[in-house]
Amino acid sequence: MFPLHYPVAILMFLVGVYCLLYRRNLIKMVIGLVLLTDGVHLFLVSVGYNIRNVENPIPPILTERWLDSIPEFAAQSVDPLPQVLVLTSIVIDISIVALALSLVIYIYNKYGTLNPHEIRELRG
Amino acid sequence: MSKSGMTMIVKTIVRLLFPVLLLFGAYVVIHGHLTPGGGFPGGVIIATSVVMLVLAYGYLESKEVVGDIQTETLESFGALMLIVLGLIGVLILGGNFFTAALPLGELGALFSGGNLPILNIGVGIKVGAGMVTIVYAMISFRGEE
Amino acid sequence: MMWFAARISEHLPIFAVAIPLLGGFVTPLIGILGERWSSIKAVDYFALIIAVLTFLTMIPLARGVIGGGEIFVYELAGRIPPWGISLAVDGLSILAGLIAAGITLAVVIFSIGFMKKEEGLDKYYLLLLIMCAGMIGISFTADIFNLYVFFEIMSISSYALVAYYRTGRSLEGSFKYLIMGTIGTVSILWGIAIVYGAVGTLNIADLSVRLVAVSEIAAGVPLSIIFALALFVAGFGLKIGMVPLHAWLPDAYQAAPAPISAVLAGGTTVVGVAALLRVTYLLFDALAIGYMFIGLGLITMVIGSFIALVQEDLKRLLAYSGISQMGYILLGVGLGGLGGIGVSEAILGFEGGMFHLLNNAIYKPLLFLCAGAVIYRVGTSNMEEIGGLAKKMPVTAATFLIGVLALAGIPPLNGFASKWLIYVTGVQVNQPILTVIAVVVSGLTLAYLLKAFTMVFLGPVPAKFENVGKVPVSLQIPMLALAALCIVFGILPGLGLELVGPAWEPLFDHVPYVEAVLGGVIP
Repeated sequence: MFPLHYPVAILMFLVGVYCLLYRRNLIKMVIGLVLLTDGVHLFLVSVGYNIRNVENPIPPILTERWLDSIPEFAAQSVDPLPQVLVLTSIVIDISIVALALSLVIYIYNKYGTLNPHEIRELRG
Repeated sequence: MSKSGMTMIVKTIVRLLFPVLLLFGAYVVIHGHLTPGGGFPGGVIIATSVVMLVLAYGYLESKEVVGDIQTETLESFGALMLIVLGLIGVLILGGNFFTAALPLGELGALFSGGNLPILNIGVGIKVGAGMVTIVYAMISFRGEE
Repeated sequence: MMWFAARISEHLPIFAVAIPLLGGFVTPLIGILGERWSSIKAVDYFALIIAVLTFLTMIPLARGVIGGGEIFVYELAGRIPPWGISLAVDGLSILAGLIAAGITLAVVIFSIGFMKKEEGLDKYYLLLLIMCAGMIGISFTADIFNLYVFFEIMSISSYALVAYYRTGRSLEGSFKYLIMGTIGTVSILWGIAIVYGAVGTLNIADLSVRLVAVSEIAAGVPLSIIFALALFVAGFGLKIGMVPLHAWLPDAYQAAPAPISAVLAGGTTVVGVAALLRVTYLLFDALAIGYMFIGLGLITMVIGSFIALVQEDLKRLLAYSGISQMGYILLGVGLGGLGGIGVSEAILGFEGGMFHLLNNAIYKPLLFLCAGAVIYRVGTSNMEEIGGLAKKMPVTAATFLIGVLALAGIPPLNGFASKWLIYVTGVQVNQPILTVIAVVVSGLTLAYLLKAFTMVFLGPVPAKFENVGKVPVSLQIPMLALAALCIVFGILPGLGLELVGPAWEPLFDHVPYVEAVLGGVIP
């Protein structure tokens, strides 16, 4: 049922944006950020799924069954390139989330609150 | 019975499980070119084994086993391994950066794929050390204030 | 020895990226060793050596690309494109790379004196060098996902550097910057996903060839490609401070240490503009990109300068004026995009935009470094509290004045030359209203900058600042060097145009770039 992948990915992205805009808690904002990025990752992986136009694609792991007929294997498997891209991007997002959470810990120690509307020293 | 950490049963089991989990992480790293996984997930599993130690034994005791100096040097060592591997391609072999240093064996064997296993090991060490640094930094901050 | 030199010169593009990366990762080790041998300055000098080496790798490349008009292509691991990552150094790349390496060198020299009293310096230099590696990687790469990865490397280092002083303001500014910056890079990733789904390749040259084919087959441009263009413009535009995505910029620039604001203003915006131009012009040739950039440029110019008029804090004022100058650059580039190949007025506009980019990268960091020198001695950057510092800090006052005049576009400094090109182009393409708006904004710029100068440097000295002395030498060297460059490019604008000239070629005439990167392999 391939039409479900893309709308779910876009829905995750929109829920993430909603979390960023409307929640009054810094940690919920970070969770919204993670949802946002994971929506785009899901989109990217589903792009790889559809790119071959085959009925039931198989995972791109070369086992002994397929060792003799490699062109057939390449034609029937899911495109592995977007999966590698998503793996790299997930690792980048881990470091962003770690940095964001460290900032949240510092902010909590300084201000004693996690509400972003009360932390507004910079104006103009 | 020491003050920090969990009960004696948990500590014993964790002490038995820690090398097994470390070994599993190393397996995922080294077989990165054959099975799903590779440097990044393997590094996270290695870091998880250290986190398990921290949960069971408390932060201060586990810091004596895997301390600051070890994580910093391992992290720089992983990065250096990657770049030195790339430079070997340039200086010794006469090709471009990251030209294959090990022979490309047949499909499906462990020692195949040129540079890939060593790159995976370098990435795995770096990611593991980095994750452990992050977790230590976040845990230690609560105590300092 | 000659063999060694010949080998190294072949591999210069990858060394330009690998040297700051390697240097950055070795810096904590140098820090640990330095503590053992009780030499505190070891980290500073090591970072200085790495920055000088990086700048030196740019010079032979610059001579080859600008003097000879070649395009250096370097394939990693010897794999033929498009199935491998390659680096391609053409006019646009070398301009962005030179600016990135030069600004990093100036900031490292400045930081040796400025950050003397801080601790955790090895992490500071690590992040600064990795940021430099990211900037050079963005300008040199020819693979769009590699562009995204280097973009993230640069952004994450800058998020951490903005929060370096762990005061409340720095944390708030850095958090805001982090959230908005991540939304920007996620938009870029989404654009890459859409484009990959449409054509199935990640090499920029290959993408440009195939995307044009897709739009020809579909008899018009499909909606998804237009959406991808919007995502790319949003993603890169957020990084360079385009209105309406600029809200993080003043907070981040105000909260960061002054040398970091300088490298953000001079380095990341320049590299962001280069990446934006390469992606939009090379991939989406068939759309009316020129009009879009003109419109965005006008809005950015006007809003930036209006908000700058009411600022009280020096760094915040400089940040808003940076936003307004980015509008000029977009205006010039958009005017250039109107014409296409061979329309001479359009080329003039494009050259004006690129020259303004170069000038902006010289005088903006100069102004931020001067603000940093003031903060170093006085401790605050609120302009209402300080005054009359011209007698106490003559070098800083003189270089700040040169920077102010250059930004406002007064002859014979470099800002005038680039702004004049943009005014002339506006008249030549029969849109004199653009020139009028640009001139009015220039007048506003002069107004608020002179206000800043008089408030900080002229007038009576408040009592608590009586004992302020001159700044140390290491802070003066980069300020003097940048001010000298302002004067040089002002008196000899031909020199600047020569540097900038090869930059417009890959954007209008795709064929040399595509042929060089793909090497004749058209799959």
